[in-house]
Amino acid sequence: MSESVIGVSRPRVDAPDKVTGATHFAADGHVHGLLHARLVLSTEAHALLQRVERDAALAMPGVVAVLTADDLPLASAGSDRTTEPLARTEVVFAGQPVALVVAESEAAAEDAVEAVVVEYEPLPAVVDVEDAMLPGRALARVLEEDAGGGDLESIHAGVDKGQEDGEEEQLSGNVLDTVHRNAGDATALLETSDVVVSGTFRTPWVYQAYIEPQVATAWLEPNETLVVSTSTQGSFVTQRELARAFGLPLERIRVIAEPLGGAFGGKLALMEPLAAGAALALRRPVRVVLTRAEDFQATNPASAQVTHLKIGARKDGTLTAIAARMIVDRGSNAGWGVEGITSLLVAGPYRWEAHEIRGYGVQTNRFTFGAYRGPGAPTAAFALETLMDELAVELELDPLELRLQNAVVEDDVGVSGNPFPRMGAVEVLERIRTHPLWQSRDSLPDNEGVGLAAGYWPGGNEPAAAVCRVNQDGTMTVVTSAVDMSGVNTGFAAIAAETFGLSPDQVRVVAADTATGPYSGASGGSKVTYTVGKAVLKAAEAAREKLLAAASDELEIAPADLEVVDGVVRAVGAPDHSITVAEISGKALRFGGRYEPIEGHGGSAQTRGAPSVAAHLAHARVDRETGEITLLAHVIAQDVGRALNPALVEGQMRGGAAQGIGWALYEELVHDENGQLLTGSFLDYAIPLAERVPDIDTLIVEVPAPDGPFGAKGIGEAPVIAAAPAIANAVAAAVGIRLRELPMTAPRVWATLEESGA
Amino acid sequence: MEHVRPSTLDEALEGLAAPDAKALAGGQSLLPVMKLRIVRPSVLVDIGRLELGGVHMSENELRLGALTTWNELESAQELERPALAALAECASGIGDLQVRNRGTLGGSLAHADPASDMPAVVLALGAQIVLRAASGERTVSAEEFFLGPFTTALGPAELITEVVFPLVEGSGSAYVKVEHPASGFALAGAAAVVRPDGGQSVALTGMGGQAFLLASDANPVDALPDAEIYGDRFAPVEYRRHLAGVVARRALDRARERMEGTGE
Amino acid sequence: MPAARQLELVINGERRSAEVEPRTLLVHALRDGLGLTGTHVGCDTSQCGACTVLLDGRAVKSCTMLAVQAEGAEVTTIEGFARNDELHPIQRAFVEHHGLQCGFCTPGMILTASDLLTRAPDPDDATIRRALRGNFCRCTGYQSIVDSVRAAATALREGEAA
Ligand SMILES: Cc1cc2nc3c(=O)[nH]c(=O)nc-3n(C[C@H](O)[C@H](O)[C@H](O)COP(=O)(O)OP(=O)(O)OC[C@H]3O[C@@H](n4cnc5c(N)ncnc54)[C@H](O)[C@@H]3O)c2cc1C
Ligand code: FES
Ligand code: FES
Repeated sequence: MSESVIGVSRPRVDAPDKVTGATHFAADGHVHGLLHARLVLSTEAHALLQRVERDAALAMPGVVAVLTADDLPLASAGSDRTTEPLARTEVVFAGQPVALVVAESEAAAEDAVEAVVVEYEPLPAVVDVEDAMLPGRALARVLEEDAGGGDLESIHAGVDKGQEDGEEEQLSGNVLDTVHRNAGDATALLETSDVVVSGTFRTPWVYQAYIEPQVATAWLEPNETLVVSTSTQGSFVTQRELARAFGLPLERIRVIAEPLGGAFGGKLALMEPLAAGAALALRRPVRVVLTRAEDFQATNPASAQVTHLKIGARKDGTLTAIAARMIVDRGSNAGWGVEGITSLLVAGPYRWEAHEIRGYGVQTNRFTFGAYRGPGAPTAAFALETLMDELAVELELDPLELRLQNAVVEDDVGVSGNPFPRMGAVEVLERIRTHPLWQSRDSLPDNEGVGLAAGYWPGGNEPAAAVCRVNQDGTMTVVTSAVDMSGVNTGFAAIAAETFGLSPDQVRVVAADTATGPYSGASGGSKVTYTVGKAVLKAAEAAREKLLAAASDELEIAPADLEVVDGVVRAVGAPDHSITVAEISGKALRFGGRYEPIEGHGGSAQTRGAPSVAAHLAHARVDRETGEITLLAHVIAQDVGRALNPALVEGQMRGGAAQGIGWALYEELVHDENGQLLTGSFLDYAIPLAERVPDIDTLIVEVPAPDGPFGAKGIGEAPVIAAAPAIANAVAAAVGIRLRELPMTAPRVWATLEESGA
Repeated sequence: MEHVRPSTLDEALEGLAAPDAKALAGGQSLLPVMKLRIVRPSVLVDIGRLELGGVHMSENELRLGALTTWNELESAQELERPALAALAECASGIGDLQVRNRGTLGGSLAHADPASDMPAVVLALGAQIVLRAASGERTVSAEEFFLGPFTTALGPAELITEVVFPLVEGSGSAYVKVEHPASGFALAGAAAVVRPDGGQSVALTGMGGQAFLLASDANPVDALPDAEIYGDRFAPVEYRRHLAGVVARRALDRARERMEGTGE
Repeated sequence: MPAARQLELVINGERRSAEVEPRTLLVHALRDGLGLTGTHVGCDTSQCGACTVLLDGRAVKSCTMLAVQAEGAEVTTIEGFARNDELHPIQRAFVEHHGLQCGFCTPGMILTASDLLTRAPDPDDATIRRALRGNFCRCTGYQSIVDSVRAAATALREGEAA
């Protein structure tokens, strides 16, 4: 056998195009006769739309149309962003799209936006999420509308809603959903626990901040097919959403997912209904490219959250019970929220004897909530992992040993009520234990500290299919419809090459669209490698069977006695009896050929989850005078199942950790009391810069997922989750303060130091 | 909007006489505000290629052309001496590599963003700003130049041509800033000069409507409680006032170290 | 609207002409007028660096320059950065050292790195990180980019020595 290609670092297959500018992102394609659309955004957080005055804009040079909701051929009445891409009568957040100005050039559209006058009848803006829950409070949406029924929740993680329960709390109509998870008598157990710690934790709205702003282009083919070329995480889900919006049959909609300039959960069916609606209304190609300012206001960032949390333990360090009340700000999203997943993840990768957890999804007049890498997870981990550290202090136990002692192992029952599958919680903590940074934690200079935290992501499942086709020259084309968000195509090439018996250079992965490709769910929830990768593996196996059948015929050797090495089929033990893949393929793919094309189709329907867990170490220095936190080093140990391509896995780990650093130190979307966004540009909203991210040491831990391709599992979300609490714990170790709110900005750190007198 | 590229200073001044005309130097402040449609000039007079650059050192003064870029300042050997180190130190902390390639000293001073860095340095170093209009040349001190947020002593058709810094032999200078995590501008910035005769000056920026000198010869930090300091959503006023003291003290310490040759 | 005019530019070593208004930003002239879409737009506040190009060898943000300001200068975009059909050592380093994920920031990163390395052929990591301050990347956590720039510096120095 030649060397395995699994576990070997190789450059991304798309790298050469990306370093030469040859990659065409969704805003780059040339479309003949293209019109450019610009959004008119609501300036009110909550209001009834009175009138949109468009004459002045229409009179401007180059302006083709000013469209409002009534002008779009929308099919259903819903009030979600798919069925109501432009506000109909009620605007529910500042920044909600109200009209589209369509013009011959972007500049003309931009000029004309200023000339559109919108009249509003303001309504009270609901911005305080805790207050909004109270009975009798003003509602963030006053007109009754169908809550939708879209398909966007299931993409991220398969999580149930906990038990239904009878005891109804008195709540306002802003509470759209409640989740209750309980087992045992948590209240009683907390009363009798030796040590109990508690706190209320606040995290803000956080922006995905992909560097490519959202964009979609739509046009009608002469045969009336609606074609949408877009920057999206999922082509099939977008197709379904468009069908729902416009009442079109699926086969009339073709969605082409272009190379994605970052998404992190944020690019799902927001722009396409706008571009498609305009194209259908005007019967001309229309492109909507958001400016960064529009992208900040009009898209779908991660929810703000308030978490009241209490945990207890016995003297020996055994965790007893967890009680949580978690309030999730959904903004205007009536369709789904993270209260289900965050109320699951708040229990962390630990065993509890009893739990009592409630989650609330509450509407306010801020944004439309959307997913952001590990939705609901960093918020939960910040609360839990801070308290785990405090518990260790109270118990006078090593924080790592405390976690290790309580870490779940296979078949421990989680707060979901289901047993945990195999997951490397113990293994990642053990890797951290021996890391030099952890070893050095007690011998650091003043005002420096090392903090530890852990967190896991349950993973997601969705059936998927793939095709592997061998070409006449012996190379292979792998076709999937998965959007390459994290380098999955490079993994697919390795999976197909390894399974079939080629070198990865001979495999080309192409992303197909909804008209041509096998089915694939949206990229998100750490599921693509686990599900589509598995389908690729099966497709390669199927192709290999065809190959061996033909080779067996040619060589007159039974298939079981053949192997495929680097593009050559040969007899096991007698490598001289061989034939190349290219020769066989050549015999198949020709007029009068004797063999079926060497081509396989494979599918997967994973049912077991493959959770990924990560532990972080952060080394921070606090400037007591200015409150500034400097990160000196960061370590992440993650169970990745199997690292198909270690360099890419490390890239995910580092990228996730950097986003976690953003949660910890910088990122915060802030509204004023009227629901106006105060941090709507990179001048106010900071993301981690090259200068402020330290070197991130990556420790790959491999606890294979039984059903994953070569043991691989989804790894995209886990690395973001526990970075912030690790940093918070490092700050506590450095200067003895505990911040209960993210981000830990310099003014907040300073104020907390002042209060504590530390 | 029209774009003109005069080839002489006089032509530029002529061009600026048009209503709503604006000078365009490096464009690193003007274009961002034009993109936001905050400023809408009718004519842009592109002075970027006039001969207004250069670092000129003589025995008792340093003359910097208005078009000197941040990058030129941060890499100028003339500015390595302790007396002028604040200039290079400040320039090297402005914006990013791309911005420093184009942004100019004159443009920054004329723009007078209350959170910009260099105004503090020109104040602390006691610079004179040379202005030219069609009617002639005048020189104003840095203190007379800054009048408020985005407001200066510049007339509508007047250009900064040079900034002149007196050289106090044996002095030390420094610039220290705590930057806003998003914009990179000064949340609090302090420029300090310490002279061999014991004199010291500190100017602050990012604190209020404009950069200002702390009025005190003995210990400038003593003047802080009387300074007008603003708070905002990100940095409340108590924090800013505290930070002002921190950066002022750190700048003075570093300037003194440089003077005494004990630092770096 | 002021009249558009033909602007002569030297781009990637070729004389090109594009129709621009005085207010047209260089980035739009490149992308829309000349089809050079490797120069990206990531923000409207001159911060992200996705639009970075070289102007006479120096990195500049093409969203913060008028096209007319580039008249008479040499503009290099990512499409023209490779040398005679061979990847430039910086490009090669980004491929080999995994300096990219989504790739949206990559052209700007590479061109900023080019400016840095012409001035500081042997930068330490802190210098590299400082030079990349005006180039946002949301995917990589920057380390692989720093690794790529460091590797490119070595390759360029060795190339020169050879
Ligand atoms: C991303 C980014 C980050 C930045 N970060 C910082 C920072 O951290 N700190 C900081 O201080 N600054 C920062 N800046 C601003 C930067 O320093 C600008 O370069 C500078 O403020 C303006 O110089 P300019 O040559 O680009 O001026 P321009 O933008 O060309 O002009 C600015 C204004 O000055 C006028 N003007 C220009 N030259 C003259 C002259 N000679 N005489 C009279 N009027 C003139 C113009 O008419 C205009 O009104 C940043 C800018 C950007 C884009
Ligand atoms: S697009 Fe030019 S800096 Fe962001
Ligand atoms: S690789 Fe995606 S932004 Fe840098």
